[in-house]
Amino acid sequence: MLWYKAWLETRSRFLISLATITIFCAVFVHHAQGMIRPNWTSDFNRLLFFNQLYAAILWIMAVVLLGMGGIVREKAIGTSSLTLSLPVSRARLVGVRVGMGMIEAIVMGIVPWAAVFMISALAKMPILMSQVCSYVILLVGGGLVYFAMAILVSSLVAGEYTAPALALGIVLLAAMLFDTWLRRFNLWRLVTGDFSIDRNTFLLSEHLPWLGILTSVSVAALMLLASIIVVQNREF
Amino acid sequence: MTNEAVIFTQALTKRYGAVHAVRELNLAVRRNRVTAFLGKNGAGKSTTIKMLLGMVRPTAGEGTMLGKQITDTHQNVDMRRRVAYVAEDKPLYGYMTIEQTIRFASSFYPDWRTDIERKLLSDYELPLRRKVRELSKGMRTKLALLLAFARQPELLILDEPSEGLDPVGIEHLLQTLVAQSADGVSVFFSSHQIAEVERVADDVCILEKGSLMMDTPLDDLRQFYRRIDLVFPFPPLEREFQISGVESIRTSGLQMSLFTSANADAVVERAHDLHAVSVEVAPVSLREIFLETVKEA
Repeated sequence: MLWYKAWLETRSRFLISLATITIFCAVFVHHAQGMIRPNWTSDFNRLLFFNQLYAAILWIMAVVLLGMGGIVREKAIGTSSLTLSLPVSRARLVGVRVGMGMIEAIVMGIVPWAAVFMISALAKMPILMSQVCSYVILLVGGGLVYFAMAILVSSLVAGEYTAPALALGIVLLAAMLFDTWLRRFNLWRLVTGDFSIDRNTFLLSEHLPWLGILTSVSVAALMLLASIIVVQNREF
Repeated sequence: MTNEAVIFTQALTKRYGAVHAVRELNLAVRRNRVTAFLGKNGAGKSTTIKMLLGMVRPTAGEGTMLGKQITDTHQNVDMRRRVAYVAEDKPLYGYMTIEQTIRFASSFYPDWRTDIERKLLSDYELPLRRKVRELSKGMRTKLALLLAFARQPELLILDEPSEGLDPVGIEHLLQTLVAQSADGVSVFFSSHQIAEVERVADDVCILEKGSLMMDTPLDDLRQFYRRIDLVFPFPPLEREFQISGVESIRTSGLQMSLFTSANADAVVERAHDLHAVSVEVAPVSLREIFLETVKEA
């Protein structure tokens, strides 16, 4: 039932975010299709790349918001003593919240691209399934670190507005700092496919940056572990 | 005592910087008893309860609840399966309905009593489909109590359980507490409503400034505590009454008022020896005992 609680807590944010990203992607691709002629293949692929850029912005904002809440926030609103009196460990409380958030983040990565895939097929401009899968893998695999960062921030900061503001600030700052000094390690460029795109065909390379994705997932795992330790050591 | 105690603490201490919230608390709450935990606001009651439940880490000392170490994470989780806790502010998830809240809570306790749940739903007239955030304070309290009573705990910890309840609700609560105790549930509750405490408690613990001032059966308090009012033909000397069991002395002109925890007979005898013209001995209420105790501290 902890999963049920986690679902009830996040469903509004999740459903609104999912609808926003999906509608945006569908409208963006559908609208742009009408402007592409006659050499549409390259332009269309370019359009899909831009779609990933915009979808990534929305997705990152959504997963940061999904990462908010949790037991520290519950302390601020006064329900932590109910949750902490349940016969479950704090690690499990955090774990279930992370699990639900990750499922929602993955769904938010898949559904908009599935919508784009179907709209393209209906418009008789089919795109390769492998391209769709690559975009989803880059978005979710590379981007989970944003979600993990949001979970960590919400384990440290209780404020309803402070925590998301801080988390989004970190996202922006990290993107700017990495782009200036450590461009090769810029997560934003990994997530959007900038490292993998062929600038002529605007197709993603068949060889995804697995090392980057693995590093990102590892950093996310470390951040989630840190969140569990923070919550376990925190007093309520 | 240790074997019988459902809650046992040894020198349990919680310090926030230089402030002692709880100071070397030695507490032994007996099984199958209703124990009242009294104290002024900020005396350390809630901090003590939170330490017992593992929400706050003690600075020093140790404790067990139902034989489980309170500072051991795994043992604490195991212990919480057998303990029901209703916090002072009756925390509930506002986004759930009453039905969802009950379904959620019951999933954690295999011994959940559906019969008690149904009875209390009916007694408390709780609308199942209503969101918790739409409930009045009294209804929230009733729902929190339902969740605690229906899980059939071995130990019930209640922090200000009657807060927000109307007189009918309070009466029902007190009867339920007595019934739970008769069913073998140990009850440990804090309250500022001393008249209620006096009706249901078997034992009384009084905490003041983080220190335990009293841990006594209520019957003993009734039997031994006395207020003795004396009138003398001349101004009395307080030092004449520095007798064991005399907790406080107030003198005003020819009158003297003593508060005793024992030896009332010896005080009366001394008063007669000193030619008191009036001697009145009266039993004291728990309210008076509480006020004297926290005033003394």
